[in-house]
Formats: sequence, C-alpha cells, structure tokens
Amino acid sequence: MNYIIADHIISPLAAGSENNLDAVLSGQSALRSYTDRFPMVDPFCASLFDNADFETLCIEAVKGTNTDACLLSSKDTLFVLSTTKGNVAFLSQTEDIALIDSACRIAQTFGNTNTPVVVSNACISGVCALITAQRILEAGVYKHIVVVGCDVLSTFIVSGFQSFKALSPDPCTPFDASRQGLNLGEAAACVIMTSDETYAPVSYGSILAGAIHNDANHISGPSRTGEGSFLCLRDVMGQEDTLAFVNVHGTATLYNDEMEAIALNRAGLQNIPINALKGYYGHTLGAAGLLETILSLHALRRGVIIGTKGYSVQGTTQAVAVSSEVRRTDKKECIKLLSGFGGCNAAIRLTTESALQPSAQPTPAYCTIADIVITPEKVILNGQSVPSSAHGGALLSELYRTHVGDWPKFFKMDTLSRLGFVASEILLGSLSEERFVPRQDRAIVLANRSSCLQNDREYQRTIMPDNYYPSPALFVYTLPNIVTGEIAIRNKYYGETSFYVLDNPAQLEQLIALAFQQAGTKSVLTGWIECPDENTFDAHLKIVEKIQ
Amino acid sequence: MNNDLLKQQIIEALNLEDLTPADIRDDEPLFGEGLGLDSIDALELFVLLDKQYGIKLQNKEEGKQVFRSVNTMAAYIEEHRTK
Repeated sequence: MNYIIADHIISPLAAGSENNLDAVLSGQSALRSYTDRFPMVDPFCASLFDNADFETLCIEAVKGTNTDACLLSSKDTLFVLSTTKGNVAFLSQTEDIALIDSACRIAQTFGNTNTPVVVSNACISGVCALITAQRILEAGVYKHIVVVGCDVLSTFIVSGFQSFKALSPDPCTPFDASRQGLNLGEAAACVIMTSDETYAPVSYGSILAGAIHNDANHISGPSRTGEGSFLCLRDVMGQEDTLAFVNVHGTATLYNDEMEAIALNRAGLQNIPINALKGYYGHTLGAAGLLETILSLHALRRGVIIGTKGYSVQGTTQAVAVSSEVRRTDKKECIKLLSGFGGCNAAIRLTTESALQPSAQPTPAYCTIADIVITPEKVILNGQSVPSSAHGGALLSELYRTHVGDWPKFFKMDTLSRLGFVASEILLGSLSEERFVPRQDRAIVLANRSSCLQNDREYQRTIMPDNYYPSPALFVYTLPNIVTGEIAIRNKYYGETSFYVLDNPAQLEQLIALAFQQAGTKSVLTGWIECPDENTFDAHLKIVEKIQ
Repeated sequence: MNNDLLKQQIIEALNLEDLTPADIRDDEPLFGEGLGLDSIDALELFVLLDKQYGIKLQNKEEGKQVFRSVNTMAAYIEEHRTK
C-alpha cells in the first residue's frame, strides 16, 4: 500500500501545486525566447527561472510540501532524487558534481542521514523514481519516501539538445501537425509517499501500478512500433472504464509523438483522452515525471482534464483523442507515460482514492547464476580468470575483438557503455541459453557512484568558448542509463532498464530484489559499473534469477 | 576537394574503427545499408561540416540531400566552404 500525502511544484509559472494547476488551467505558459541567457548557445525557446540553483530548488520543493520535520528526518524515511544532470553546469569549474553528493546534501538539510538513492534514467527518471518509491514501500524497506525531481539548464544541456536539432524555435505544439520539436524547461517537484496507514485520512492519491520497458531499438530515436511504451501501457492500464486520461510525454518532436500515438493505439487506448503539458513548461527533464504526475493528480481531484496547449490539428498517422481544451471528468484514475534516451519507457497508473489495492507481495528470493569482474588488470568470469594481453583502456577493445567482434557500434560508445557492453557479452555468453531471442522477462539494473563523469568531461571539451562544436554522439552518452539501452538493443531485451547513482555497491543489493516486483521479470542483469576515467574502471556484473 | 581526405574525416568523426578510405566508395549511399550509419552519425556529420569547413546546415532535410554520398558531400563543401 502506498499513500501520496503531500506534494509541491516550483516552476517559472508559479510556486505550489495548486497555483501551478490554476495557471495551467487558465492557459498560461512559461515558454519564452532567449537569445543570450547561456554563453555560446544559439537563441532558443524555453521555460526558465530568473536564477536557478539545482540543490536550492530541490530543498525548496521539499520544504514546500510542509511535511512534518520529524517525518523528513526519520530513520524510516528515504530520499529519492530524480535528475538527469544535477549540478553539471559547474563542470567547467569543478568536477565535484556527483549526483549522489547533491542528494546527500539535500537529505541532510532535513536532518535525514539515510543514504539517498538517485534515479538517473534520462527523461523517464521522475516516473522511475515514483516506481522505485512504490517498490520500496511495498517491500517494507522504508516507511516514508521523499521523491524530489529537478534539472536546471545550462550551456551543457541546451547545446546538446541543439546538436540533436531537437529544439523548436517557437513554443512547442505537442501532437499537432505543425510541431517542430521540443522546448526545454526548468522546474522542481516533490512528492511525499508513505506506507503508514495512519496517514490514510490525509492521503489524496496512490500509485496503483508501474512499469518500465525498453524499446531495444535505438539509443536516441523513438521506436517506430512504440514497443516499450506499448508494453508499459499494457502492464498498467487496468480497467479502461475507470480511466480519465493518459498524460503522455508529448515532447512535440516529430518522432516521439508519432511513437506515442502508435503505442496508445496498440494498447487500445485511442479513444481515451490524452494530454501533454510541454506547451506550458517545456520538457523539464528529471522533474517532468513528478511535475506532470502531480498536476494530473490535482486535476483529477478537481474533476478536470488539462488541455494540451498548442494542439489543434492531428499530426500523427494514427488518431488519438488529444484533449486540446480543459474538460470535465468524474473518473478517478489516470496514467502518466514517459519515454527517454536509451530507449527507456515508463508508466504509472494513479488513483485519487487511497484504497482497493492488493496487499504487498513478499520480496522474492533470488540467486546468482553467473558473474563477471572486469578491472584494468583482470577479467574474472564465474570465478575463473579470462586471459587477456592488454591492460588499462586497451583491455576493453581487446575483449571486444576476442569475445564479440560483430557489433561495430562498440567503437562509438563511451567507456562506461563499452565496459557494460563487453562485460554483459562475456557474461551472457557463459550461460547455456540461446542468445538474441527477444524477451521481456530479463531486466537490466546497473548502478555506480560517478554517473558518466568521464563522458561529461569529453562532451564539455566540445563546448569550450574557443572550440564550440557540440557533439551529439558524445552528448547522448552524458546519460548514464545509455549503457543499459546498449545492452538491451544488442540482446533484444524489452524488459526494465534502470540506472541508479548510489553511494556504494551495498546499496544496489537492496534495490535488485525490488526489480522482481515488476510483473513478468524473472531475471536481472545487474551490477556495479564504475568508470571515472577511461583507464580506471571496475565492473562487477551478475545475472540473478528469481527462485520459483 | 580531396575525397580521400573527406573520407578520413568521416571515419574519424564517426569512429568507424577498422575502416579505411578505400572501403568507402565515392558514390555509395552513406546511409541505409552501406556503412550502417544512423541518425546520430548524420548529426555528427553536421558538426564535421561546421568544424572543418565552416558550413552550417540549417535542418535535417538539407542534411539528407548533402549526405547522400561522399561525392555529394564533396561537391557541397566545394561550393559552400568558408574555411
């Protein structure tokens, strides 16, 4: 059982969830044109604060929930942070930008000493953080979860999206025939969840189901069949007649919205009202899943479906029921859908009623069936040393040539992805199972402490004042979850892919069991995969399987 | 415009390990089957044109025309280069 008991949104439109809903319902948008906001980048349209500091915004979002200080500091409370790039704006001055350090400082501001969890799963991070919270509560690991999501913009992020030619010069128009791309946005949002039934009287919502699936198709391009989003919708959709709407990702890129329309049709949801909120806030990255979930829940409580600002003419090959204007509803459930780089997709179904849920399932037992260790000096597969002549950075290329050899995209990957890729190849090759058979029952859950700092540094070199040529091929790898996507694509794994940024490997062990809470997951390719620079790396990967 | 130089620049920009300029034909389609390039490679070719030749292509559609083959790229560079 999980109860949502408080939330807060800080956006350029307003402070407070209800104030944000009022602003959105009255049609306001925070999208503006900027010409010289960040050094070097071309003019762009976005939703920005006048001044934005990542950790300050996170802290203010938590404070804004007006949650009892004792709950926030309790040993039974865990902080879960959703962000893609955290403090990356400071990378040109310092490398002390670890996401987990930010999360620790945020938690400690409230006197909470439990080591927090950072979910860094590209644009689906916010919904994944809510799913992680739900799973932790169901498993009884903690009683209360503070889920906070935020990203602030900088030359680093804006230049990357510009290099992808993904930005619209004008306010975006989700699902509309005229759409030209997305706008970026800044926001912070916080949701407080608990499993403690004494809070039931003040609860106004809960998560009924959650699912994460990979497209196993491409690390940046949305699937042409909407595979991952379809599987997420299939898993969470429940009864169609209780569903008020689906709040889609709706970034307003040509391919994202087309993909979502296909997925909605495949799931049989083409007649359910859908809406997208990017026309009000832009794409707020790590905050998006939380901000859009909170607004959807508050709208449901008011009995309304928020309109899709910017939409007027169908712009997808398959019809969907885009709600362009505010409309009434008396239904109590909605779905929040997201997708992101790395081919990841996530959905949750929410209700405004805090009852009628199945009781928590006991956490399943699992066992390790294979493991591998790769460091610059050694490769150990299932306890046996694997011979190699190379060391340091050259080792990964040698392992690729010796054990794989037929996947030239390997050479386009950053070191983190190369490490995860060769480790997973050798590991999976040691199993007595047929390779490359499409499957949904194996999740990929990886974690580390330094996120993708090594590649962040590489990308930063392409956006220097005297050498400004932002590289899209490097930018895509500035998301740590891309390695999970690379492995999913290679193996045709359509199950969950998740990346956590944690303080230490022991923390990951707690999270592995939670992956089995996703219906259908029987096996998890998981482990710690650290790569602070191209010659210093450490992968401890294993395959664990549920004991029936 | 020296096609071999351009091919070498493409190989380096796109990390086409194990390929040499001799492996890329002048009139071969760069995308589709051939070299197995994808949408990120196409975007990286935009960067190559800007960085090496001072050419800023405006949109993806323009890129599709220019990046049909090494020959079409070389011809476009010859006509539009600013450095």
